[in-house]
Amino acid sequence: MKFSLAVYSAPHSSQAAASALRFARALLREGHQLYRVFFYCDGVHNGSSLSAPPQDETDLLAGWQALQQQHQLDLVVCIAAAQRRGVLSDSEASRLEKPAANLAAGFELAGLGQLADAVAQSDRLVTFGG
Amino acid sequence: MSLHIVSKSPFSSTALSDCLDAFAEGDALLLIEDGVYALSGRMSERPAVQPVYCLAADAAARGLQIPDSVTAVDDAGWVALCAEHNPVVSWFK
Repeated sequence: MKFSLAVYSAPHSSQAAASALRFARALLREGHQLYRVFFYCDGVHNGSSLSAPPQDETDLLAGWQALQQQHQLDLVVCIAAAQRRGVLSDSEASRLEKPAANLAAGFELAGLGQLADAVAQSDRLVTFGG
Repeated sequence: MSLHIVSKSPFSSTALSDCLDAFAEGDALLLIEDGVYALSGRMSERPAVQPVYCLAADAAARGLQIPDSVTAVDDAGWVALCAEHNPVVSWFK
């Protein structure tokens, strides 16, 4: 079965972002497909390459990147939500004349249409928020 | 039939009561994250709806016992519930 996930929560602000990664791992382990993960609202912080959690805590970014590499996942960060919160790709940083870019490798910026497309193309959308 | 996933404690959020208001015959309820605290309150003896599932790891992390009326599931069981139900509705406000 084809799943997509929508992640609305920043890492470490609640358990939701960690639950999303855990669910993504579980569904792939069970042989399902993950069509897209769409990071929206505060969830865009999951795509920041600058997060540096303590070594004895879960590194969600490393978890997403490893899963992305292993399964060629489509990890999409909402571009409008990301600009507001300071998650920028190289091209967005230079276009907006900002001093640095921080979008993590394995993630890409795109519009909300990609969430609508994920809903249309997937059998299930599971949302993680709060 | 819908799978309702509640991830907030009934002691800090209306997520569970809002969900129960929308619960229809044939639906299922899954408690995850702080939603498992419902096991220490209104779900502990006689659940308002059936069937009720609970993520075992999230209950164990909070030191909560899962009563006989609630079915414990692992991560694979969580995925299976999502595959068996459509749509999957998350309650977190």
